[in-house]
Amino acid sequence: MRLPTIEARSLCKSFGPVRANHNISFSVNAGELLCLFGENGAGKSTLSACLTGLFPPDAGEILFKGEPLRMASAADAIRKGIGLVHQHFVLVPDFTVLENIVIGSEKGFNVQYVEAEKKLRRICDNYGIGIDPNAWVRDLSVGERQWAELLKALYFDADVLILDEPTATLDVENSKKLFRIIDKLKSDGVALILITHFLDEVMQSDRVAVLRQGELVGIRKTAETTPEELTRMMVGRDLEPIIRERTPVGPDRLVLENVTVIGVGQVPDLDNVSLTVRQGEIFGIAGVAGNGQNPLMEVIAGVRTLAKGRISLDGKDIGGLNARVIKDIGLGHIPDDRFVEGLVSEMSIEENLILGDQRGQFASKLFLDFPKMQRNAVQMIREFQISAPSGETKAGDLSGGNAQRVILAREMRLASKVLLANQPTRGLDVGVIEYIHSRLLEKRADGVAVLIASSELEDLLNLCDRIGVLFQGRLMGIVETEKTNLEEIGLLMAGKVKEDAA
Amino acid sequence: MIEFSVRTSVGWQAQFAAYVLALTLGFATSALLIAASGASVSEGFGALYEGAFGSREAILQSLVAATPLIFTGLATVIAFRAEIWSIGQEGQMFAGAMSGYWISLYLGGVSALVAIPMILIAAMAGGAALGGFCGWLKTRFQVNEIISTVMLNYVIVYLLSYLLAGGPWTEEGTTSYQQTPVFADNFHLPLIVSDVKLHIGFLLALAAAVICWVILKKTPLGFEIRALGFNPTALRFKGVNVTRTVLIVMCLSGALSALAGVSEIFGVNYRLRGDVLVGLGFTGIIVGMIGGLNPIGAVVAALFFGALANGSLYMSVLSDIPPSLVPAMQGILLLFFLSASVLVRFSVQFRRPTNV
Repeated sequence: MRLPTIEARSLCKSFGPVRANHNISFSVNAGELLCLFGENGAGKSTLSACLTGLFPPDAGEILFKGEPLRMASAADAIRKGIGLVHQHFVLVPDFTVLENIVIGSEKGFNVQYVEAEKKLRRICDNYGIGIDPNAWVRDLSVGERQWAELLKALYFDADVLILDEPTATLDVENSKKLFRIIDKLKSDGVALILITHFLDEVMQSDRVAVLRQGELVGIRKTAETTPEELTRMMVGRDLEPIIRERTPVGPDRLVLENVTVIGVGQVPDLDNVSLTVRQGEIFGIAGVAGNGQNPLMEVIAGVRTLAKGRISLDGKDIGGLNARVIKDIGLGHIPDDRFVEGLVSEMSIEENLILGDQRGQFASKLFLDFPKMQRNAVQMIREFQISAPSGETKAGDLSGGNAQRVILAREMRLASKVLLANQPTRGLDVGVIEYIHSRLLEKRADGVAVLIASSELEDLLNLCDRIGVLFQGRLMGIVETEKTNLEEIGLLMAGKVKEDAA
Repeated sequence: MIEFSVRTSVGWQAQFAAYVLALTLGFATSALLIAASGASVSEGFGALYEGAFGSREAILQSLVAATPLIFTGLATVIAFRAEIWSIGQEGQMFAGAMSGYWISLYLGGVSALVAIPMILIAAMAGGAALGGFCGWLKTRFQVNEIISTVMLNYVIVYLLSYLLAGGPWTEEGTTSYQQTPVFADNFHLPLIVSDVKLHIGFLLALAAAVICWVILKKTPLGFEIRALGFNPTALRFKGVNVTRTVLIVMCLSGALSALAGVSEIFGVNYRLRGDVLVGLGFTGIIVGMIGGLNPIGAVVAALFFGALANGSLYMSVLSDIPPSLVPAMQGILLLFFLSASVLVRFSVQFRRPTNV
């Protein structure tokens, strides 16, 4: 019988009282793609870190081609043939692609650049990756950096390749390309482990291992399972489908006319954008991250300066007003980066829930109204199902999903007229995503104008009445959700204007 | 392999034990230093204790010495809690003393009931203006507050030097002492105890500590100061005027430092001279840090350092210990206290590297 390329036997790893991995066993054969599927915090990253020597497991063992594997470090794992493509880039911007790859790979000081470059070009040709080995990493786009990261792993002729959320930074086209490369790697006999929370990617694997709360729930042959079953295994219960009732939309509420925001070096971050969100409408902003979503949301919320154009709310000009004034008119803003822009990690849930309103309704005369803050926290924790020991828990101790619930609770209270949601579900698991979507729909039913930016196209199509596509700060087009499809939006996202519109 | 992990919760007993340990080790290290200088350790520590707590007068005198340190310690707490690294306590303290003196020149013959509040207010205005100026440089031109406050410390100290040695505030008939003539009686801060110069500045300092504690803990401004220190971006996203908060913090910190200078000059020395103030602002930074950036903690630390300063005077008189060892002891104690505060927050584990 053929031995599996890599096998984990009863792996356990704890961090203090938290059991990140408990008694996990699985194996991957040469030429096979195994998918690790699970919610945030289910233990996927810990598992990949154990497999690549980042830290040793507490118990259990790892077999590599049938032999027990001893790894002193991550570099050791790479030399032995176990490669990891990181979710976050670990590239030196001021080095070329080639230099990034050969760093630390050669013994001594005599780096064989010529040999290395030849080998790298051979790999690029072989897998159809169009990257110049001598390009500076700082000049590469986010997508290209992902390829450089992948090249790093391929360069060492890995027998096992672990891909940690590789498509998070890739657009639709490049994700497809990645899967073509994965197919090629499989035919070359590489054992692949893919970590992802995108179901359509999971369904392209050979087998799926589902993790929940650090334990292996089960392993399924992909051909013999369904997305529904996998989701059920992951969250441990059934999900309710989103029902978006057709409610009549009201008059114009949030109107942007020729809005321009200037970025660093006088380059517009947002270029002449006009759009209208009506009462009871969810307007989606599609686009690859970094194409103007943040400037758009922030200029409406009054956090960034309006260079040109007009922004009005219910006919009243709000362009250039202070963020606090705009908030008090009835605008809630769920920012892009929850722990940097949304929360003060070191402060309690109670305090974070009133951030911005410490001089408003939560102050009585000179002092903060502590009883009111406590009541508010108790009510919000219950209403928004924030799982935390108490309102005094520090926001920084919360998981991503619970932190987002705190922001959601605060901003929903404010959003009596407009709700801005910038990537509200990024990195969250399906349970929380479902919950957030249902709350957004509630606001829609209340007649609030909801503007949501997301890089998850499926979600936008399920949720929104209309979708606008941003590309390099410009609005490429606005489409009715009923009358569009993924391909059309995908083209707009890549900067291609609709032919009939031209 | 040494591993550090953050402790989730720390009981007050553990904190107390850590600081007692720091104190013990600090004194033990100081003892080594004293022994190395050739003096008798027991004699030195005996004199130190005698001078700090040995008699009623000694204790009261320690409180007098602690008074300016409470003010500069609080100034540190307010600024550092907002993560504004102001090192300007020294200069702001001088500015306070100078502003108080300047206004007193126009108050000849005015009753103490009017004169003293005006002197205190003028002092606070002077300190706040200097602090606020650095805050303005920071918010308007992104000038690092560490640079601006340190540099202005020198400017202010040497400005006083000029004013007292040949400048308009020079005492007539003498140029060798840099000092003004003795103030009229109506400018002396009232004494709480008549035989020792324990003046109302001490009570003011305690009141200031309580006010600072209330501001930080109970008011919207304190909420903003704390949030500013932790995450100014989140504050800006909620529309809080961060520039205004920075200016308020710097003015407040400057006004507190100013009270240290004015109370020392008008409560203890009764004449304006620079040498009696030197170092009190910098020691305030140590006091604020050891006090855990908590107003009440700063009072405790100031009392300790006041006693140390007072006791060390006695020590240098009664024993052969060189006076320069006192700042060394302060530094040693600071290091141990800061180490203790880290030790309390992290648990340290020693493990052997393990292989799979």
